[in-house]
Amino acid sequence: MPKRRDILAIVLIVLPWTLLITVWHQSTIAPLLAVHKDDGGDSRRDLAAGLDSKEYCLSDRDIVEVVRTEYVYTRPPPWSDTLPTIHVITPTYSRPVQKAELTRLANTLLHVPNLHWILVEDSQRRTPLITRLLRDTGLNYTHLNVETPRNYKLRGDMRDPRIPRGTMQRNLALRWLRETFNRNNSQPGIVYFADDDNTYSLELFEEMRSTRKVSVWPVAFVGGLRYESPKVNAAGKVYGWKTVFDPHRPFAIDMAGFAVNLRLILQRSQAYFKLRGVKGGYQESSLLRELVTLNDLEPKAANCTKILVWHTRTEKPVLVNEGKKGFTDPNVEI
Amino acid sequence: MLRRRNLLTTLLIALPWALLLTLWHQYPTTPLLNGTSALRDEGLPSCVRQQQSIRATPKVIQNYVYSRPPPWSDSLPTIFVITPTYTRPVQKAELTRLANTFLHVQNLHWVVVEDSPRRTNLVSNLLEKAGLNFTHLNVETPKSLKLGLSWIPSHTPRGTLQRNLGLHWLRDSFSNTAPPEGVVYFADDDNTYSLELFEEMRYTRRVSVWPVAFVGGLRYESPKVSPAGKVVGWKTVFDPNRPFAIDMAGFAISIKLILEKPQASFKLEGVKGGYQETSLLKDLVTMDGLEPKAANCTKVLVWHTRTERPTLVNEGKRGFTDPRVEV
Repeated sequence: MPKRRDILAIVLIVLPWTLLITVWHQSTIAPLLAVHKDDGGDSRRDLAAGLDSKEYCLSDRDIVEVVRTEYVYTRPPPWSDTLPTIHVITPTYSRPVQKAELTRLANTLLHVPNLHWILVEDSQRRTPLITRLLRDTGLNYTHLNVETPRNYKLRGDMRDPRIPRGTMQRNLALRWLRETFNRNNSQPGIVYFADDDNTYSLELFEEMRSTRKVSVWPVAFVGGLRYESPKVNAAGKVYGWKTVFDPHRPFAIDMAGFAVNLRLILQRSQAYFKLRGVKGGYQESSLLRELVTLNDLEPKAANCTKILVWHTRTEKPVLVNEGKKGFTDPNVEI
Repeated sequence: MLRRRNLLTTLLIALPWALLLTLWHQYPTTPLLNGTSALRDEGLPSCVRQQQSIRATPKVIQNYVYSRPPPWSDSLPTIFVITPTYTRPVQKAELTRLANTFLHVQNLHWVVVEDSPRRTNLVSNLLEKAGLNFTHLNVETPKSLKLGLSWIPSHTPRGTLQRNLGLHWLRDSFSNTAPPEGVVYFADDDNTYSLELFEEMRYTRRVSVWPVAFVGGLRYESPKVSPAGKVVGWKTVFDPNRPFAIDMAGFAISIKLILEKPQASFKLEGVKGGYQETSLLKDLVTMDGLEPKAANCTKVLVWHTRTERPTLVNEGKRGFTDPRVEV
């Protein structure tokens, strides 16, 4: 008799505790599953501004969870563990419109997730203007500088005209990448050269993110044309260049028209832009021929039929009224 | 001994059952144990509303999704940005980078006014894709005005009719008796705007002003601000005695004021160079009613940049590139 009572007692104890533990286990797992489901489909376009309460009933027979989706804005967007990083290399130099150019470029870059801005000044020292600007944007950045040697034979502040503008700065950035990232490192990345006066659509950055070796696309306002573009055949391969100016260059493409996978940059560690003796229009070729062949190029932007980047140039502002001694307060930064 | 054991046993039995009963009361849905299989359901059945009445507070999970532009807020004043624009090769590029800036500004409503007989596909598509809150208008400047062939030998500054149409739309859309909280700002499509500028102008009571770079042949032009924080003049070389020696990008007007003074518009003809802004502002405010922003007008937050016209020589007579590819 006592034995049966004992058994009963044990059952009455064990059963409810088991149930309780199971329930507790469920309630911690369920919310995680619900959140993942919500993450899936939402695209930016569908966003009605503000708080959007989506109520899920997971099933008639479950504990009811409510997943509240809140549309938030951060600048830049949160870093993602799955997206390849886009390393944007921008050479820049001091002149009146510099701050304006970098401000509007930063405003564009601030929308792109996993972007790392490498700003290289053509200067002896990193300037306070750039230091402050970079810090205030909130972007992920690296601030470098290297001065293009001046040609003292020419009047004034002229750099050596035999070295195409921006070359030493871009090369310094390539060297920084090679010194910073291990060749065997698995962090996926894309390298893009973005001059500070061009105009970039947000779509462009998403197009380049999937670059395996070197990807290419059309660029507006170069070569004396509305746009220059790679020639793409029916099989989706690049076989030539739609340009008027010297279409037989190995790579008749503008600096803003291609991106390189970081892995390739690290593998071909001797590939740099040629510094001197480069014919006009051949700068891009001087780098690309060491990285890839025509056949390996990946056409983007709907097989090179869409314009996603414009080679805009900014007018030099008229400052005649400053006169000899200056009218405005030089301490006010523009 | 026996009693204590009995007590312990009773407790060990009673406690969990009591807990279970409490849970059951809260979530009167049957077998919680079946949870796993139900969660594997991919298709989410529609929520049965009646369930809400029987269950207690459900579990709330907060999920954050990145949004562009920032979500609208009911408590922030709206910034109505009026941008006149016209077709030329760099138009799409200008509007693209302008949109990229505006997409960071909360509660911004972009009023784009094309100088054209019809709203073009280029601008329509751009506005749809951008995701901004916008209004798309158009009005064509008559050729006589464009070429300055009016009998008064002065020129109609570009964009005047378009800005006036923007003002007209505002007056049509909002009533003077219940004006929305907000400001109007005239932003040309080739200037450069910092994000800080928009926060400076957001709380304008009547008309606020600030410096503008690259105008009047100077690094910047600026209002003169007294130690008391009042505007007392203009730091310009070109005609500093104008009533308002300020660039279009250098001021913002509260919606309330625009609606209060429905007759105030930019003058169309007979406007001397540099007097366009005055032609509007004189009907809205006096100098001592101006509110200086940007740290009492000591910081430059907007630049009057201009974009070079691209060389298209290689297009030749018949065109080289595909005209169907939009630039």
